[in-house]
Amino acid sequence: MRSFNVTLALFALGFSQAAFSTPDSELGRHHEDAAALPSAAAASKRYQVFVADLSEINVAIVGVKGMVCDFCARGIEKTFKKDKFVRKVDVDLANGQVLVAYSLDKIIDQREISQKILANGQNVTAVAIVKI
Amino acid sequence: MAFSNNMQDSVYYHYSPNHRLSLGVEAVNNKYTNQNYAYWRATYLLNRKNRQRSQRNVYLEAGISSQGSNEGFASVHYDWETRRWFSGFGVKRVSDHATDYSETFFKVGIAPYLGEYGDLHTWLLLKRKRDTRLEHWLTYPVLRFFKGNFFIEIGYKSEIEWDTHLMFRF
Repeated sequence: MRSFNVTLALFALGFSQAAFSTPDSELGRHHEDAAALPSAAAASKRYQVFVADLSEINVAIVGVKGMVCDFCARGIEKTFKKDKFVRKVDVDLANGQVLVAYSLDKIIDQREISQKILANGQNVTAVAIVKI
Repeated sequence: MAFSNNMQDSVYYHYSPNHRLSLGVEAVNNKYTNQNYAYWRATYLLNRKNRQRSQRNVYLEAGISSQGSNEGFASVHYDWETRRWFSGFGVKRVSDHATDYSETFFKVGIAPYLGEYGDLHTWLLLKRKRDTRLEHWLTYPVLRFFKGNFFIEIGYKSEIEWDTHLMFRF
């Protein structure tokens, strides 16, 4: 019983320290890394397939760290699809990349993108916006 | 989420207000004591390290039993995975009216192929676990499949028969 109470106390301590906080460091430094974007992404076959049936859109090409599992990445697609301006989402596990097609009415905020990825537990490494 | 093994069956429903925390309730049918009760559960992501091709997690879990605040459990879980490899470890300490016991497990696994997002994903795992109510460590194979929002893990050992874990994400 004592060991159970000690473990519960440790749990409460860890919980109280950080449960509801989102340190800025977790949001990544994608603004500084913008130049280090995967420049080949927009020329890739996957990207071309993604935009093939789209027009009058902005595509956010988002580099993501920690996106190693399909089941865990489900929340990313769900979160972006809640935005009424989002027309299409593609998750590329192999390259750690998410493509998001926004209608032109949307003013894309890179910090908002980072927060959505972080809300699912991953980190953004870079964001590029391409107008189609 | 649902779990079933030789010692208990349970169904766990939880909600995550953010990626670090989930809160829920687990209905338990304890086969060892032949009792039904519930746990009010919390899971907290203590530490996560995201890398380009891997993720490591440390979770703390605790539950208070509906049978009284002196009964419940606390556990620590660790996992590290890439798209190809998986390793996990967990220790759970349980206090109930009948006995105090602990469960420890290790898991290692490999994905035989790397599926795309949306494909059926398959993992072959080896699990080694010990429940202090039993005599010794058990080692057995586990198959894991997931597709979309559905996840299933099935292990089998003749001594304890099935060890299954189902998950559906709403």
